[in-house]
Amino acid sequence: MQTPFENRIYPFAAIVGQEKMKSGLILNIVNPAISGVLIRGEKGTAKSTAVRALADLLPEIAVVDGCPFQCDPDDPDHLCALCKERIAKNERLERKTRKVCVVELPLSATEDRVVGTLNLEHALKQGERKIEPGILAAAHRGILYVDEVNLLDDHVVDVLLDSAAMGVNTIEREGISFCHQSRFTLVGTMNPEEGELRPQLQDRFGLCVHIEGLNDAKDRVQIIKRRAAFEADPEGFWQQWKKSSEEIAERIGRAIDRYWAIEDDEQILYAIAYRSIEAGVDGHRSDIVMLKAAKVLAALDDRGRMTLDDVAKAAELVLPHRMRRLPFESIGPAKQQPIPTSPRG
Amino acid sequence: MLNVQTGRPSVFPFVAIVGQEQMKLALTLIAVYPAIGGLLIRGQKGTAKSTAVRGLAELLPGDDGENSKHFVDLPLGATEDMVVGTIDFEAAIRYGESRFLPGLLHRAHGGILYVDEVNLLDDHLVDCILDAAESGVNRVEREGLRVQHPSRFALIGSMNPEEGELRPQLLDRFGLAIQVSAEDSADNRVQLVRQRERFDRINGAFVASYHPQTEALAQRIASARKRVQQVKVPSYLLGFISEICRSNNVAGHRADISIERAARAHAAWLGNDQVSAEDIQQVAPMALLHRARQGTPPDLPPPPPPPEDDLEQDHPEEQNENQPDRDSEPPEPQSNDDGQDRGEQQQAQGDRQESRPAPAPEKPRDRTADEHDGEVWEIGQPFRVRSLTSEKDHKLRTGSGRRSRSRCSNKHGRYVRSTTLRRNNDLALDATLRAAAPFQLVRRKTSAPSLAVHIRESDIREKIRERRMGNVLLFTVDGSGSMGAQKRMVETKAAIMSLLVDAYQKRDRVALTVFRGCEAEVVLPPTNSIELSSKLLAQMPIGGRTPLSAGLCRTAELIEQVRRKDPLSRPIVLLLTDGKANAAIGDKPAHIEALEIAVQMQGRYPFTRFIVVDTEPPGAVRLKLAQKLAVALGADYFEPQTLRAQQLIDLVKENY
Repeated sequence: MQTPFENRIYPFAAIVGQEKMKSGLILNIVNPAISGVLIRGEKGTAKSTAVRALADLLPEIAVVDGCPFQCDPDDPDHLCALCKERIAKNERLERKTRKVCVVELPLSATEDRVVGTLNLEHALKQGERKIEPGILAAAHRGILYVDEVNLLDDHVVDVLLDSAAMGVNTIEREGISFCHQSRFTLVGTMNPEEGELRPQLQDRFGLCVHIEGLNDAKDRVQIIKRRAAFEADPEGFWQQWKKSSEEIAERIGRAIDRYWAIEDDEQILYAIAYRSIEAGVDGHRSDIVMLKAAKVLAALDDRGRMTLDDVAKAAELVLPHRMRRLPFESIGPAKQQPIPTSPRG
Repeated sequence: MLNVQTGRPSVFPFVAIVGQEQMKLALTLIAVYPAIGGLLIRGQKGTAKSTAVRGLAELLPGDDGENSKHFVDLPLGATEDMVVGTIDFEAAIRYGESRFLPGLLHRAHGGILYVDEVNLLDDHLVDCILDAAESGVNRVEREGLRVQHPSRFALIGSMNPEEGELRPQLLDRFGLAIQVSAEDSADNRVQLVRQRERFDRINGAFVASYHPQTEALAQRIASARKRVQQVKVPSYLLGFISEICRSNNVAGHRADISIERAARAHAAWLGNDQVSAEDIQQVAPMALLHRARQGTPPDLPPPPPPPEDDLEQDHPEEQNENQPDRDSEPPEPQSNDDGQDRGEQQQAQGDRQESRPAPAPEKPRDRTADEHDGEVWEIGQPFRVRSLTSEKDHKLRTGSGRRSRSRCSNKHGRYVRSTTLRRNNDLALDATLRAAAPFQLVRRKTSAPSLAVHIRESDIREKIRERRMGNVLLFTVDGSGSMGAQKRMVETKAAIMSLLVDAYQKRDRVALTVFRGCEAEVVLPPTNSIELSSKLLAQMPIGGRTPLSAGLCRTAELIEQVRRKDPLSRPIVLLLTDGKANAAIGDKPAHIEALEIAVQMQGRYPFTRFIVVDTEPPGAVRLKLAQKLAVALGADYFEPQTLRAQQLIDLVKENY
């Protein structure tokens, strides 16, 4: 969509502070099975900037050229129906390499745009049912980004839950019956002041980070300076940060390569289980994600083993939004807002 | 043969699931004998509910694997026409034929229909599915079609109760229900994580490594399937089944039938030809969980001893429909030690299933020195509230939620009729074709000949749909000093809290107004954030006089404000007060002023539903002022006790 030289995005490496958020995002790039990160924080804390900046860091994947469902040419068993049809017709599936995409789900998206629907024009003109793939098709093997995820329409949330759970999107609407893979990393940002997320959806985010505006004056000045520099000369600024960006990308690449070489250490597994039991979380998703996150942390550090420290760090990202709460109790270290309780005067 | 379905990722093998024995057993029983009538899996998020169900799909005897006919997935986004079947679009336009395009209910015939998050499914879809499940036939009368076809399937639903409960009527329709929770033991958790990580690494190879076990299980299910029809229930155990149902106060006979069938499936699964008392004890809790009165764990009486003369005797005529007279065979309450033991075990299990995270115990806080401005009382125990909706009208709304019925302009809801107005690309094909029909001869001469039907822009009709939506709930709460007496605020807060939980599940917006001292204040403008309002509620202080009229005026302003933003919205006002007023705005006596304002409000806002919850404590002398206020407002009047949804009331209310 974006050609490399126009519309430079603010480089990820140039974001000041917010280490937790950055680490949450990077963990997900290394292992998408961590299944996403929920970024909770006030307005203007670089949430969206960071997500958009990911585009530069993402690894490349192979896709079938022209396939709206992002099929993997190296996995012939799981091709979509359209690709299978092409093979049946003896067409060759062209292979294409591209970066992992960040697909944005706008709040105004209607359910049929998200799931996919009947292509009405084609239907009326040609008298054929043809599928119009939705956002879930575009997001397969990529990142699905929802800004203000807590304001998302309820139906859309239900549909998201459905496919996020199983990695499959089943379309049954307007005469279309279709089923395709849709595994995506769900990245959501939200401002808790505007309402909480449904617990079910919350649980689908592998990790959760809280961010606050930086309080250090030096940092704040730094932010202003960098932002000004970027706006004055996006290209120059991008070049200036190119090296740091590449370093991060390389580090991610190395971590991806060594991830599976890291052992599932008995002691670590028990440490993870005990943490979940202690926290009294619902279900087992926390255990599964905690292991993956700890492993990525070890991989990013070029270590062959996980340490208890990795587990502790992973737990910080995995547990806070999963702790069992009384109905509507607030999550984690959210600040207690001063609440006007008495009539003025 | 495994996993050939197009575009599906590999499914985590059923046999590799760690723990969750009861869920696995229940699913196996359904696979063995779909006539049990469906299974509901309730449980927290992340407890392998859907993983297990989808794993089960791989074990079902399919015809050829292609489009596994015996397992149909119903996505939440499914439209009604795709569920029941609809007019075949292609055939209509290409060949000008009115042909029926079968829906999911047709595909599910003879197999399993799975609805993940079944509690979130639109009500009208639930109704369609239930109708078919009940009668075994799907009758379609829509878009000019009249079709019926057999549709017998086992319904499997999974749900997380946090997101709202199922209607009791629907609950009863499930043959069995189980409650799942996470594994407690660290060993199992470790094992589970390890399995999962292996699955993620070597997906295909992992599935393959379980292939022999999967095959064996599929074989065992297949042979149990063949046997189940022949499995007999000894007559003395039929009495045991009805005794179980009777001692658990189960309404209707569905539980008896489910237990009988599930016990036969269990016996077949174990390779036996005859049901034993153990089979019944194993399956009975699953048939009772959702049917027994709330809060009472399934209670199993001890099984009767087998008649001494014969264990082998067959009672073929009694094995199926013939329920014996309930009183004819009371099982001897004899203490068969083994059976007793088992019964207790089951009961303990039941206890655990019922337990939920308990809300904070109710306890009024002591007055502390720093709260000079008012007293803060804790929130009492929340409860489930009865259904409160606003009346149906014909306005078109966008939005979602699950409270009141309304016309809607997104593509959800039941198709009620068609319109020529084009608003949201929601084509009503039948109406469009009817509109185009008279012109076909003329148009055929002028346009492309390849199509059978020629449709012009002017023919296009759209669907008008109807569904439930959330409302705006305006809470107006009396925060005056008198509310502090006798823990009334604790109870009132419990009532509000319960209403808030209900509001969350129905996806409403809420606002909170408090009146006390000399004025009323909107402490929370309309918001989706119900947790924010509950936080405010917890911190809400009380004290001072009762400016009831000010509270009413503030509420009126809020109603206007809500209507300005969305002229079609129908707010529901919940007024929590004892009706005593002692601070007026003008010169009139406070309570007369309040009643006058109330009468005006009723006339001014006919679209608003008012509900008065009387907070006057029950006692010898009651003034019942709130009741007068309710009359003036044209409001429904409740006391906190009557606000509670008793199951019977609920059944009546929710079955309209």
